[in-house]
Amino acid sequence: MSMDVHDSNRDRAVLLVHAYVDGELDPANAIAIEQRMASEPALAAERASVEALRHALRERLPREAEPPALRERVRRAVGITRQRTQPTWMALAASVAIAIFASSTGTWYATTRTPSAGGNVSDAVIAAHLRSLMAPQPADVASSDRHTVKPWFSGRIPLAPRVIDLAQDGFPLVGGRVDVVNRTPVPSLVYSRRQHIISLMAVPNALAGSTTPQTVQGYNMISWTAEGTTYWAVSDLNLEELQMFARLFRAAPA
Amino acid sequence: MSGDDSAARFERIVQPHLGDAYALARWITGDRADAEDVVQDACLRAFRAIGGYAGGNARAWILTIVRNAAYTWLARNRSAVVTAVDDLVATESANAGQAVTTAGGDYGANPEAELIAKADAARLEAAITALPPQFRDTLVLRDIQGLDYREIAAVTEVPVGTVMSRLARARQRLIEAISADDR
Repeated sequence: MSMDVHDSNRDRAVLLVHAYVDGELDPANAIAIEQRMASEPALAAERASVEALRHALRERLPREAEPPALRERVRRAVGITRQRTQPTWMALAASVAIAIFASSTGTWYATTRTPSAGGNVSDAVIAAHLRSLMAPQPADVASSDRHTVKPWFSGRIPLAPRVIDLAQDGFPLVGGRVDVVNRTPVPSLVYSRRQHIISLMAVPNALAGSTTPQTVQGYNMISWTAEGTTYWAVSDLNLEELQMFARLFRAAPA
Repeated sequence: MSGDDSAARFERIVQPHLGDAYALARWITGDRADAEDVVQDACLRAFRAIGGYAGGNARAWILTIVRNAAYTWLARNRSAVVTAVDDLVATESANAGQAVTTAGGDYGANPEAELIAKADAARLEAAITALPPQFRDTLVLRDIQGLDYREIAAVTEVPVGTVMSRLARARQRLIEAISADDR
């Protein structure tokens, strides 16, 4: 086996192992490289090392927020002067900083936090997400067109949610469904990121609970409050991309 | 396009990605204050170009501008760093599979994976900082910022195949560096 280490076939196989770990392979190539990893211990070891590295980088490397003053500095530099919006952006920057700080201890929270009033809501939210993944389709109305998804809710629940198209930012809309949280029907939007599904639930504030980023059974959860609604985003997507999704959704014009 | 339109487009298209812009600039320059200067410069470029931005992936568009601004900045302020980049091109296409030889035949217990699992943040950061710039960019964009291969190819302006080989080499260097600590 050591004879063919430098041949191009082996080099290509190594690249495919990395692409496999990254979820970048089509099914045919994925199956082919799975078979090779099963029979070639060196490739299996490569996979284990790469997965360990990715996990360590994702979980252990603190993600540093931009300095709070940078956003205003940039605005001044390009000649935008909008004092009115400053507090909003500052608050958003501060909340992002807090979320990032909290995310590094998210796993710790999930395992040690005491049950609070919000525990029930977050449990219900993650249960609804898991149920949707087990169903044949994660959405009851499957459409990437927000003008199809939003009216679908109108006949089913009192208040249709904000539906925002984030396809240009790499989070295409998959559709929507109605979940039940604490016996109240709530609208859920479904987005995707590569092969990951994101559920975004809009829960009335009366049911609001904890808004700490959490990791539960390998699923990341983020929530925030806007206009009387608490939004919950749940996915097996990594936390930093889920936070980006939340930032984009919040920043988008209604 | 009026100034107001540009301002509104800038707020909508660029501002949501400011955190990613800053993070990439900090990894490339290795310095917080320098990263802020780079982001400001990049935002000026983006603002001037925003009338011609035709849609598509906004984050990739902005990170491309940030990366170019960062390398322009480095060339102006730290020319020694950038000259080292050119030497890399010759070696990066070389055998990406080399590190596999160290893995041995036993994958039931993988000592490298165990060592990586124990590495702390400071060790990981030091190992990333020590990577050659173009390997580091690719690794940061994929494993820290979560871009997919096509997006990284767009940002770093190389074919997807080059992204794949750079990413594999960058990871293998990190794995080797972290494993070597314990020997």
